[in-house]
Amino acid sequence: MTKTESVTTMILPLSFKGQHIMSAHLHAVGLKKAYRKGRSLEVPVLHGVDFTIEAGEMVAIVGASGSGKSTLLHLLGLLDGPDQGHIYLNGERIDQLPDKKRDYLRNTAFGFVFQSYHLMPELTALENVMMPQLIRLSPWQWFSQKTQLKREAASWLERVGLGHRGKHKPSELSGGEMQRTAIARALAGNPQIILADEPTGNLDAESGESVMKLLRDLNRERGMTMIVVTHDLSVARQADRIVRLNQGLVESFNPGVAA
Amino acid sequence: MYKYLLCWRYLKTRYIALASVISVMLGVATMIVVNSVMAGFAHTMRDRLHGILADVVVESYDLDGFWDWRDVQSIIQKECGDLVEATAPTMETFGLLKIYLPDGQAVTRQVMVIGIRPEDRAKTGDFSEFVQDENGKLIKPGFDVPKNWQTNSPAGHLLKDTPKDDPLHDILRQQAGEQVPDRGAIVGYALATIHRPGALTDDFIAPAGSRIGLAFPKSGRKPEAAYDDYTVVGFFKSGMSEYDSMHVYVPLERLQYMRMLGDGLGAGAVNQIQVQVKPGVNINEVASRLQRVLDSRRPLYFRVATWEQKQGPLLEAVKIEQFILNVLLFLIIAVAGFGILAIFSMIVVEKTRDIGVLKALGASTGGVRGIFLSYGLALSIVGCGAGMIEGLLIVHYLNDIENLINSLTGTRVFNPDIYYFSEIPTLVEPWTVAGIVLGAIAIAVTASVWPAQRASRLHPVQALRFE
Ligand SMILES: Nc1ncnc2c1ncn2[C@@H]1O[C@H](COP(=O)(O)OP(=O)(O)OP(=O)(O)O)[C@@H](O)[C@H]1O
Ligand SMILES: [Mg+2]
Repeated sequence: MTKTESVTTMILPLSFKGQHIMSAHLHAVGLKKAYRKGRSLEVPVLHGVDFTIEAGEMVAIVGASGSGKSTLLHLLGLLDGPDQGHIYLNGERIDQLPDKKRDYLRNTAFGFVFQSYHLMPELTALENVMMPQLIRLSPWQWFSQKTQLKREAASWLERVGLGHRGKHKPSELSGGEMQRTAIARALAGNPQIILADEPTGNLDAESGESVMKLLRDLNRERGMTMIVVTHDLSVARQADRIVRLNQGLVESFNPGVAA
Repeated sequence: MYKYLLCWRYLKTRYIALASVISVMLGVATMIVVNSVMAGFAHTMRDRLHGILADVVVESYDLDGFWDWRDVQSIIQKECGDLVEATAPTMETFGLLKIYLPDGQAVTRQVMVIGIRPEDRAKTGDFSEFVQDENGKLIKPGFDVPKNWQTNSPAGHLLKDTPKDDPLHDILRQQAGEQVPDRGAIVGYALATIHRPGALTDDFIAPAGSRIGLAFPKSGRKPEAAYDDYTVVGFFKSGMSEYDSMHVYVPLERLQYMRMLGDGLGAGAVNQIQVQVKPGVNINEVASRLQRVLDSRRPLYFRVATWEQKQGPLLEAVKIEQFILNVLLFLIIAVAGFGILAIFSMIVVEKTRDIGVLKALGASTGGVRGIFLSYGLALSIVGCGAGMIEGLLIVHYLNDIENLINSLTGTRVFNPDIYYFSEIPTLVEPWTVAGIVLGAIAIAVTASVWPAQRASRLHPVQALRFE
């Protein structure tokens, strides 16, 4: 937790309910979630999960397939609502916000990275990276800041090592390149927290390694808060802390112990 | 902003969607062509009708007419003198026409006998543009029979060689007068000719110089017919078969005299006064003003009607026809709308995961809906725009296209013999075109509402998990 201070040098764009937040702190208590199919069939997934991540921390969530890792991540990132329990971002409860504010938080506070990249096939890598800003800004704002935003997006691509691939469509990129583009996209929105769901799951060992290194470096350099869901213990070990989901409940321990 | 970017990209990459608006395009093009042709027909027909009929007609309910027509004329002058250009008294009555064929047979036809003063009638409407000779050349409307026609008649020939004091002389002169009466008549072209299908020219059964007989009602207590004969001096060809096959024009004074409604010296009755209104004047207003003042002179005797009112049923029929066609064609575009709906729904399904990503990145429900709505709008603008251009081009080259089809198939699609038009008349009305295009765009956009709504309602997690 020593990094908490260094993070404050980062500029965080979010002004939430009038209050400037300089450090992100995500906290969830008693999250319950069950999927219902029809009237009778109910699949309970989370049975009351408590979860906390401090600003600048990198946490890995591990667990067996079907243990509810993705579900938890979706709840934390406001893609879905919990049946019970609360989620707090910097002390403010966010799980009950109206749709508009949830959309706004997804756009500004969270950056998602998915296992299967989920880039827009019609857009170039650079345009994909600009997506969060494109969603945020009205056409007028966009056109008045276009050159600057393009430069920013290009520098993110540069940062993930794809400066020269900006004009390429996703279909012309390799898996690792697509995932790094997706990471650049997640970063381009200037989020407080990156939520990555098995970012290396579809990649071979080498590209997986380079993607993990990228995430790790971003966490170190910029103090970016990160939650990484993974199967892979070697990936998990690079995190500051590991959270294991087991039968709908969590246990948290240090990476050293996990081995 | 992303809405427009994505919509633009979808537009450029998804040709199947463009295919879906082809039906809209064809519908729009068809509607523009049909409406332009119908408007062209209606317009040309109105033009012709208006040419034959004067702007406003004052007529008596009684076929025998009124003797005080000079007073009526001056009332018209007094009431609307500044709006009226010319007036012409005419006498219109039904009658029977007999055409004598060279083989001794005769053809009888039902006609409308119209007594006119050619100079006056020429000033009201385009009457003078419809009077022609046997060769189709326009001639000055008039009833004078050339002197040499009588001398060239069989009796006339004999007369030339007969000395004046010969007892035969007077008889021959009378016969020449009977063979070629010195009263002219202008006969409807379709009455005077026979058209054989496929023939290039029409055969005259009543050529210029031939004698025709007319019977028409006499005035008096008992219904009685009067009989008179005339020499054909010209032909009336307006292009409206209804008139060309009915009208026979004769000198007004002669008709009055024969119907026992005139003294043959100028005093007589007429049953119509044709009124030509100055350009730009509202003819309906003139008509209603005249109706009022004439009613006060003699109630329930005069009927004042504009040419449009007189031709009401015909113009109305064209309007109804056009309306029904438009309804049918719009239904076709509506069918095309369902095609758009189907293809759009497919695209939404195909884009499900992208929609999930967009939502994960913070796109709002309204934003996602906006993508597909603006996509629908853009597609329909493309489709309707292309349809409009196509339709206007077809209208512009319609007669060339018709010629091409004629030469390819060897049949005449548009037979000028039937329609009296030398080519297909068209009239592009900008407001109609705008209405068609906007209506089609509205239908296409409406068709994209439901898929767009469905896309916007997708749950982000389910959309992301969608395979
Ligand atoms: N929409 C749904 N309806 C019913 N059950 C669902 C639904 N989504 C997920 N589940 C169930 O919830 C459980 C947890 O799913 P989740 O995707 O969170 O697991 P996971 O830990 O991410 O697994 P993996 O490691 O394979 O990605 C699974 O048993 C899954 O079958
Ligand atoms: Mg998962």
